[in-house]
Amino acid sequence: MISIKNILTISSYEGKVLWRNWFFRIIGLAGIGFLTIFNLVVFSELDSPDWDFLANGSVLPYVSLLFISIPQAAAVIFLATGLIKKDKKLDTNEVFFVRAITNLDYVLGKALALFKLFFFLNLVLLCIPLIVGITNPLATVDPVAFLSYLFLTSVPNIVFTAGAAFLLVTVIRNQPISIVLLIGLAGVQLIYYFDKFSNILDFTGFRLSMMRSEMAGFVDMEFALLQRSFYFITGIGFLFITAFLLDRLAGHKTAHRASLLAGLAILAISSVIMVKLWDMRKTPIALRQQMIEVNGKWADVPNLEVSSHNITLEWLGNQISSTSEMVLQNNSSAPLETIFFTLNPGLTAEALFINGQPAEFTRELQIISVNKKIRIEPGERVNVQLNYHGPVSEAAAHLEVDQERYENINEFIIFSLLKKYAFLEENYLLLTKDVLWYPDTEVGFNRRSAAKERQSFIDFRLTVKAPAGKTPISQGALTVNDGVYTFKPEYRLPQISLVIGDYLKKEIVVDSVAYSVYHYPKNDFFARQLDQLADTLSYLITDVVNEYEDAQRLSYPFKRMQFVEVPLHFTAYNKVYESHQAHVQPETIFWPEEGGEIEQFDFRNQLRDMTKQAAKSNQVLTDKQKQANVFNDMVRKIFTKQIGSTWVWEGKDIDNPDYSIFPNYYDFNSGIVSKEWALLNRSIANYLRKDKLVRNDYSREIKGISFTEECNDLMRTSPLNRILTEGEFSKVNKSVALKSQYLFSYLGHIIGESNFKSFLYEWVNTHQHQLTRYEDFRKAMMSQFKVDIDPVMRKVYSETSQPAFEILEVQKYEVMDGDRKRYQVLVKAKNSGDSDGVLEVKFNHKDQGNDEDDWYPKVNEDAAEEAPGRLAVIRHGETKLFGYVLDEKPNDITINTIISRNIPSVINMSMGTMSAREGGVLFDGERVIEKDDSSNSYEVIVDNEDPGFSDFSPIKPTMLKVWLDGLDTVPQKYHGYWSRSYAKWLATTGSDFYGRVIRSAHFTRSGEGEKTATWTPELREEGFYDVYVYMRGKNQNEYVGNNGDSRQFEYHYIIKNQDGTDHISYNITNAEPGWNYLGSYYFNKTGGSVSLTDECDLRTVYADAVKWVKQ
Amino acid sequence: MNIEIKGLSKIYPNGFAAIKNIDLQIGSGMFGLLGPNGAGKSSFMRILVTVQKATSGTILMDGMDINTHRHEIRRLVGYLPQDFTFFSKLKTWEFLDYAAQLATSLKRKERIAKVDRLLDQVGLLDVRDRMANKLSGGMKRRLGIAQALIGEPRLLVIDEPTTGLDPEERIRFRNILSDLSQKDVTIILSTHIVGDISSTCHNMAMLNKGEVAFKGSPEGMIDQVRGHVWQIMLDDEEFDAIKAKYPVVSTIPAEGRWEVQLIANDKPHPDAREANPNLEHAYVYFMENELGVSLV
Repeated sequence: MISIKNILTISSYEGKVLWRNWFFRIIGLAGIGFLTIFNLVVFSELDSPDWDFLANGSVLPYVSLLFISIPQAAAVIFLATGLIKKDKKLDTNEVFFVRAITNLDYVLGKALALFKLFFFLNLVLLCIPLIVGITNPLATVDPVAFLSYLFLTSVPNIVFTAGAAFLLVTVIRNQPISIVLLIGLAGVQLIYYFDKFSNILDFTGFRLSMMRSEMAGFVDMEFALLQRSFYFITGIGFLFITAFLLDRLAGHKTAHRASLLAGLAILAISSVIMVKLWDMRKTPIALRQQMIEVNGKWADVPNLEVSSHNITLEWLGNQISSTSEMVLQNNSSAPLETIFFTLNPGLTAEALFINGQPAEFTRELQIISVNKKIRIEPGERVNVQLNYHGPVSEAAAHLEVDQERYENINEFIIFSLLKKYAFLEENYLLLTKDVLWYPDTEVGFNRRSAAKERQSFIDFRLTVKAPAGKTPISQGALTVNDGVYTFKPEYRLPQISLVIGDYLKKEIVVDSVAYSVYHYPKNDFFARQLDQLADTLSYLITDVVNEYEDAQRLSYPFKRMQFVEVPLHFTAYNKVYESHQAHVQPETIFWPEEGGEIEQFDFRNQLRDMTKQAAKSNQVLTDKQKQANVFNDMVRKIFTKQIGSTWVWEGKDIDNPDYSIFPNYYDFNSGIVSKEWALLNRSIANYLRKDKLVRNDYSREIKGISFTEECNDLMRTSPLNRILTEGEFSKVNKSVALKSQYLFSYLGHIIGESNFKSFLYEWVNTHQHQLTRYEDFRKAMMSQFKVDIDPVMRKVYSETSQPAFEILEVQKYEVMDGDRKRYQVLVKAKNSGDSDGVLEVKFNHKDQGNDEDDWYPKVNEDAAEEAPGRLAVIRHGETKLFGYVLDEKPNDITINTIISRNIPSVINMSMGTMSAREGGVLFDGERVIEKDDSSNSYEVIVDNEDPGFSDFSPIKPTMLKVWLDGLDTVPQKYHGYWSRSYAKWLATTGSDFYGRVIRSAHFTRSGEGEKTATWTPELREEGFYDVYVYMRGKNQNEYVGNNGDSRQFEYHYIIKNQDGTDHISYNITNAEPGWNYLGSYYFNKTGGSVSLTDECDLRTVYADAVKWVKQ
Repeated sequence: MNIEIKGLSKIYPNGFAAIKNIDLQIGSGMFGLLGPNGAGKSSFMRILVTVQKATSGTILMDGMDINTHRHEIRRLVGYLPQDFTFFSKLKTWEFLDYAAQLATSLKRKERIAKVDRLLDQVGLLDVRDRMANKLSGGMKRRLGIAQALIGEPRLLVIDEPTTGLDPEERIRFRNILSDLSQKDVTIILSTHIVGDISSTCHNMAMLNKGEVAFKGSPEGMIDQVRGHVWQIMLDDEEFDAIKAKYPVVSTIPAEGRWEVQLIANDKPHPDAREANPNLEHAYVYFMENELGVSLV
């Protein structure tokens, strides 16, 4: 049987041996060295660390332990396999094998030695973040976190890897193979199963959600503890099995068998844990599907509408106990004999009373229905009371979110966070409408009618009983009476939320609106770091509110705006039919605990950057001014989105949190609902919301075309309603946004944009705190403009045909208009597509700053004044000339084709130098050109999209590249700039390439001249031709450091003409964007060509288009 | 201790029979196991110390079956294997203390005292703090014997103990064993060096190709060779002729000639005279005559 003495003896001496092992010492020192440098660089005051690294006390130990988790697993594998292997060359083991110890003593002793050593190493390693944390005055040091994470991450990791290594090397009796297999296993887990299956397979605990919220605590502990226990217990089980399989004759047969049985029993326990884990993962997923099915059953069943709703709620730790008193009305035209409510399936409905009488009801998950002895006539009102209690199942939230998005990781620093949609913890509560915490009469997402928007605004009243010391936060005016909090919103609202926690409140009233910040006691960093704003805060708020409301042309419709801190884990999604995320509730914005990863909440570094920026621009700012700027910056970037820019990968970054206050101006205040045009309201919200935050999309750099163009392509093959039900969300979202843009551009063009806008604003402002019906809106439009919007909507939402715009010519002149210098731009464009289309033309007058200063917040940064775009409709087959007279010199022109066949769909062209024009009439407007009389000379253009273009490469790609290419299941026509090939010419797209509808070029990594691209024209007549090549601009727009250090760059052309072959080195250093003259040659009708080689000192060579113009 | 071995065989999975049907009775005192390399000595000893299992046959130690009482028997056994290289990175005393902790239940103080006493006994006290793998070959074997002795075993199994030892160390080693054999301890010593046995063992067996070729006392073995050991003075030519015909045990150059001892059933040379046999002669005789191993 087991002898503790023997185990301790073995562990003691084997520990000594390991301690003296050079490998262990090296990895130990490497770990200490790495973590010391890492902690000094990231967390210490040597630099000024990011606020999100310091704010939460768990980050310090947790980051360090996660960083070592994978190398630690590898080190344990190396040492463990060496420790247990039986080396045939040495008989040394045998002198211990003949001792009266059991196999289990032997194995456990060795395992314990290994464990002790690594445990000790972890303790030493943890001292590093501890010391760094203690010496940083801004850092939170939480001793409990240090111990907790040691036991949550390292301990199970060491035990499991040691157990697995012992077992494997005992079974296959080969140390190198065992190591390769185990490291391979870790590798497969890391690469293939990374962030899959809720990280159940993550034995190192690297990506398991264990981050502790300082507000709500360890919200995901049950899953994490079970997962970690699984690996810990399995590791122990492996040790017992190892003892059984050990190549040593057992002393006691019974003891020997017992170790097998014990091992199997332990593994059985761990299997039960795994089943439980799997179940914990699967149950909510299955529940979601069932709920969607149930919603589907009830989606088309007519129901009552809630007129008023009085909720009384008592918070009982992990449960709530509530009573809902509702006044419901039958707003349909037929009597109802069935009524139903939705309620979170975790909540148990105790009793239902209709007009004071108990009613029999049936329950199917989230649906509570009554269909006996009930008949409610049209227009009739009933009083319903529902009593319910229990926990809240978070699976009920966000049913419209597909599995992939639902399981996408909620990232925080390097941690993955469990996605929480509601909190009902012992000491914290957060409930939003998404979890159906109070009954409603509207059905949520189902597959038949993808989703619906809210059909009514409700007169809410909420009474909350909470434990003393806890602060409940909800919508409306608050009265507190003997520990009972009553919230009475002044207006009807589509939804309410409830948060209860240890909040402190800071409030200021500005222009009759109460602005309040609710935060946890520890998290008053904003007040400490922006401590000089007290007396100017009201002015600052007035300024940002005025700026915002001027831009939106709407005014704030509520009496209060509350900014409520919520735990890090709280997660929200973008939706199809609603234009707000759960971060925004009526009168309320949920901001993440301690600012989360939002850069603008890192006030210290923002102040530092502000100081640097001020110094650069020779400004002297007082501390107060700096703080005011930082405050402004935060509000305008995060909550009003009036300044700043961000990089996004459109189509991927689809659920980035959005804290915009806009939904309070529209979604929670007004709305136009329509059964037929469910997307209309969302489209209006899109149209009204005027964010000025620039979103720079880099999807073209990755995929060769932008995400918009991908969606345009999709919309050509699928009507919108099919995309809505079958498409992936990112494409649904983008397609809806594009359709909205197109709809309003089209309407704006028909009615006159300013007329239409004024009408819409007027409509919203006169229909506050209520929903209006589409039919009423349509009638109003008809009477105002004599335009029926119905056919327009039908056309926009259903059509798949698209226009294709050819920008035939852009002329630009500097003109003297009297004594004023003005600018005339003429754009000739043709719609060669199969549908009418809308163009939006914008001129940019500012030089795009591209220096490093952009990285720092600008001092008193102004919102970029955007010149309004000019809309134009071109019917299909039509050519139009557009004239623009500008007072300011335009720097570039942007032509947004919105929904079209164009690639890029947004064409941005530099205006370059403007030629002076004497006299002539200024033309501002548009006219149809019946006959194109642009040029009399004969010219032939061969573009890279044309059959006359060919490319050649003798270079074979590497095997790795071939394999990687093989992983792409969908062949790509275009490739992003980031996938520059050295072996091939690939096609890519961009505004500054030549093309009629598709502006593309081929590109390759520059080489020795082996790769060539060739343009072969078919000429109608032989003769002398001027040859032009299409260029992107100076040095083909490639960044070459300090203005290229005056270096000269050349392209190498080979021109085959009647006289033979000419090799030309063509200097591109000062190439103009557009056509550049190459030379004049005599060409026969066939046989001539122009080739470009890949030889160039720049990194990339582009092959675009060549033009032959007959002399 | 009384060890009774019956019908012991060990056949490896590849069909090689290391031990064939051995019957032996071993009592207290020193027991020598002689045999050429590959005779099955090591396999036999590994079975005795429970490191390896026999294919068939029984071993009873004081009446306990080795297969069913392995744990109890391990308490009684000390073992020094043939190739004894140490754990890296343990000091001499630590290594011995490690063994002591597993073999005894002494308190720390007494244990350390015992370790030092034993180190002194094997002459390693001076190097107690030296890393064990830095010891010389002889020291390592002495440490090996110390670890085998630390649990005060009733059966001490020592495989090829004197290989690589210098004569002084060999003598010291023999003395340690002789001291031990005075107590009620069975010492089984395997060797292919005849001198190790002749000087220490009262009982012995000779193994060849896995079988017992002889069992009894060394004297008994020597008796069997009496009359077959010859001594002759030979010149070069005669020596070459004799060497080709008979197994030569020793050759000493003397006055330009060779004084040769050899084994022969009949008088090999007219000048030959009978010599007094020893165990080495007996070993050669056995190899040549009984087992048919040509040593010529």
